[in-house]
Amino acid sequence: MAATKDSKEQKYDRQLRLWGDHGQEALENAHVCLINATATGTEILKNLVLPGIGAFTIVDGHIVSGEDAGNNFFLSSDSIGKNRAQAATELLQELNSDVSGNFVEESPDKLLDNDPEFFHRFTIVIGVQLPESTCLRLGMVLWSASVPFLICKAYGLIGYMRLMVQEHTVIESHPDNALEDLRLDRPFDEFKSHIKSYNLSIMDKKDHSHTPWVIIVAKYLERWLSEHDGQPPKNYKEKEAFRQIIREGILKNENGGLEDEENFEEAIKNVNTALNPTKVPTSVEDLFNSEQCNNITAQSSSFWVMLRAVKEFVYNEGSGSLPVRGSIPDMIADSQKFINLQNVYREKAMQDAAAVSKHVESLLQSVGKPPESISEKDIKLFCKNSSFLRVVRCRSLAEEYSVDSINKDEISGLDCCCFRFFSYLI
Amino acid sequence: RPRGPQPQGLADSLSTCKVLVVGAGGIGCELLKNLVLTGFKNIEVIDLDTIDVSNLNRQFLFQKKHVGKSKAQVAKESALQFCPSASITAYHDSITNPDYNVEFFRKFMLVMNALDNRAARNHVNRMCLAADIPLIESGSAGYLGQVTVIKKGLTECYECQPKPAQKTFPGCTIRNTPSEPIHCIVWAKYLFNQLFGEEDADQEVSPDTADPEAAWNPEDTAARAAVSEKDGDIKRVSTKVWARSTGYDPIKLFNKLFKDDIMYLLTMDKLWKKRKAPTPLDWQQLEVSPNEEAPASGLKDQKVLDVWGYCQMFQDSVETLSSQLQEKGDDAELVWDKDDPPAMDFVTAAANLRMHVFSMNMKSRFDVKSMAGNIIPAIATTNAVIAGLIVLEGLKILSGEMETCRTVFLNKCPNLRKKLLVPCVLDPPSANCYVCVSKPEVTVKLNVQKTTVLSLQDRILKERFGMVAPDVQIEDGKGTILISSEEGETEANNNKFLSDFGIRNGSRLQSDDFLQDYTLLVNVLHTEELERDVEFEVIGEAPDKAPPPQSNQEEVNSITNGNKDSAQPSTSSKGRHHLRPLTSNSAAVATGTKRKYSETGESSAKRPRTDQSDAADDEDDIVALD
Repeated sequence: MAATKDSKEQKYDRQLRLWGDHGQEALENAHVCLINATATGTEILKNLVLPGIGAFTIVDGHIVSGEDAGNNFFLSSDSIGKNRAQAATELLQELNSDVSGNFVEESPDKLLDNDPEFFHRFTIVIGVQLPESTCLRLGMVLWSASVPFLICKAYGLIGYMRLMVQEHTVIESHPDNALEDLRLDRPFDEFKSHIKSYNLSIMDKKDHSHTPWVIIVAKYLERWLSEHDGQPPKNYKEKEAFRQIIREGILKNENGGLEDEENFEEAIKNVNTALNPTKVPTSVEDLFNSEQCNNITAQSSSFWVMLRAVKEFVYNEGSGSLPVRGSIPDMIADSQKFINLQNVYREKAMQDAAAVSKHVESLLQSVGKPPESISEKDIKLFCKNSSFLRVVRCRSLAEEYSVDSINKDEISGLDCCCFRFFSYLI
Repeated sequence: RPRGPQPQGLADSLSTCKVLVVGAGGIGCELLKNLVLTGFKNIEVIDLDTIDVSNLNRQFLFQKKHVGKSKAQVAKESALQFCPSASITAYHDSITNPDYNVEFFRKFMLVMNALDNRAARNHVNRMCLAADIPLIESGSAGYLGQVTVIKKGLTECYECQPKPAQKTFPGCTIRNTPSEPIHCIVWAKYLFNQLFGEEDADQEVSPDTADPEAAWNPEDTAARAAVSEKDGDIKRVSTKVWARSTGYDPIKLFNKLFKDDIMYLLTMDKLWKKRKAPTPLDWQQLEVSPNEEAPASGLKDQKVLDVWGYCQMFQDSVETLSSQLQEKGDDAELVWDKDDPPAMDFVTAAANLRMHVFSMNMKSRFDVKSMAGNIIPAIATTNAVIAGLIVLEGLKILSGEMETCRTVFLNKCPNLRKKLLVPCVLDPPSANCYVCVSKPEVTVKLNVQKTTVLSLQDRILKERFGMVAPDVQIEDGKGTILISSEEGETEANNNKFLSDFGIRNGSRLQSDDFLQDYTLLVNVLHTEELERDVEFEVIGEAPDKAPPPQSNQEEVNSITNGNKDSAQPSTSSKGRHHLRPLTSNSAAVATGTKRKYSETGESSAKRPRTDQSDAADDEDDIVALD
């Protein structure tokens, strides 16, 4: 078991660095349905099988033609005359033995006639070159079952794709350039007393130059606030003045020159972002105000239950702030000072998550669900990512085709959906 | 067989024209598939690499059973299985091998690069310029990618824009005063070579007594000598010889590296006036006080172990590596490979122990690997998109529509114009290029009394100016040959200084690479004022500056006018790995340090180019087109 985990880690190394182990886990738990193993269809599936989805099922009632064998890398001339789902499954399965490949030799319309619930089991359904009528029928079934539906078409050098899903919630959105959550503007009690434990004026040179920049900024900010009616530096001029104060704190050597204190340089460099006010991002605020957040029922998914709990936390224990994220960036400091500082944030993050957890418990109780239906681990992860939560919603195909919405907006007007369709024309 | 969407004429030319694919990795595999499906019948593919397990998540022509075999050969066989009618020739070889001369390149209608390093890209660029064959260049990194077209006289060549130099660290930072984890990782990689691999004088790992910062007084020497005796006087023998004499005893090695050498460093007390001094480790002490094991969740590689954990990893990996060395025989050498578990374990352990000694926070194996191996994330999807774009550009070239060719960027997210793929007009050749102009010339600032002929050859002509086998003649009226590419002809000159040959300020050196059909005139500017650890500077190039903005962005389907495309910042998954930036603004360091790529918009400037290339040693699909 351990060996397989190791070899997976090795095989998937280059992608784990892109989406992390939770991303990989999501991929490995996915069961993808492909309708029609055309060249486009098998190409899509190839790119999912290689990184290791859990399983795929190809639904295709067609027989492999000469044309298929010519333009599809995963069909050969030997497979002409065979069912296309079966032939493509055999070759795609070879790409990755960790993936379970299945096929159904039937047209999607037949399945829709006989067993529409067949499609409920999938994580996503990808329909390629489907006629409009099938798209609409299948779209309806999947929409109500909350299964994402991806429609793809390709003609020569032109292609089209369209995603339909009622709601797709994202906890780990892997934001780029996320600001750190340091709470310098609203220090919590434990952080305040940690700041107090430092006295820059009586430190020896070594300790002075190994004090984390967060402490330095916090110290000088305290001083600034006391001299400026509790108002932090706001504009460029004030921030520059604040930087100058920090600069003056750098130790001098015997000749009156400045010592080389990289931690102070780091503090000066970080003034701008460190003074950013701590607030709930508007995107999260919007989610707080949504119907799904405010009306928790037994059917609510754990995302919404946890979101509501975080909202309760913000309005109560958090006094307007999200749970502390609990991570700090690398900085110049000796190990002990760094670890001590890290522990202050970590412990606060744990406390906050515990408070959120209480709210989750009572919310679950109020809709008659057992408290263990959402794990502590999930709550912690949710709290850690609470600034970056995302919800993607798309318009249904039925709505798009309805008389009301015809011509209402341009073809590019699917703004509700982050996966707008892209086409590339040469 | 059915025809694709091409007109008959093009389809005919596809079945007859010969094309070359350089690289059979991530992009190369996808490209081979696309080429055979598009109807190309004469394909040659070259790659010197062999298949590794970590390739299998995307290089779909390879399977587990192929690990260790030639990429080019297996790619050919797999592609033929799917498309038996194509004719594919595979070379398991380096493209810089002189067999692949200008004549070889002239056989092809089109050359497509699917490479992973700058040196090979430079070389193929020059070969295609010399042979006047169109080249399609490509690269990918994570979700990002780029394709561009290079044609002599019409477009910029690969080397028209200066690229940031790879950051190197001063020797004394590595040996005496590391302040960042990367310094310890570089040290650990050097240590690997010193112990098990090819010894390199530039990769010393022991304390550097010549550190100008240490500036010893004579009375310190006594203290130094005392410690020196204790550490077995290893100064006089090489690290490898000493290690061998101990039978690669992991504990002896440990105590020398993390105790004796550190105690020696402590005697250089000037170094620790302003710095926190390192703390030596002692195996015997650690052994008797085992720490509590904190079982963490998640993937094993992503956990940070405690000190004793790294001690054990050090011991295990030294034992494995030394027995590997023994099996190979007397003068055997191991080559460090990030995907070789004991080699990676060794570097992880040694780097972390050193980080601990120097009071840094230790890193997981996963993070160390990313920094030590300059790993660039890679997925099949991006490579498939890029390979598709290569074929589209290729079809335009073969249809004689070179003017419609574009450089195309693949973004991580749609830009403000809702484009995921952003085509840009190709720039004309740069008048200042030291490669593609008719008489290339550069001025190099160096100290003629301190620069050896060997470093002119290796550091300047080969590394900096991408030559493979230079011949150098001094323009002194006598035609003195300084360097000959013929083996054995000028080796005697190697360790002499340039001034020994009468080279002085204003001297001109004619450097010629016969294979690349490339001549570069080097003007020498003598100086005695170079920064520490800088051997030379190229004049007229600001290597760390981005290329000047050029407003040649094609206004395709412009929805919003004057709206800047904010280039999406590079990806980082929870600080674990950081993409090398797609920019030349910052010196590309082989560190994995977080950098963002500049917010240069498509409407005002060309998107900054990528560089990571040479940093990454054997990834196949690493980006970046420059």
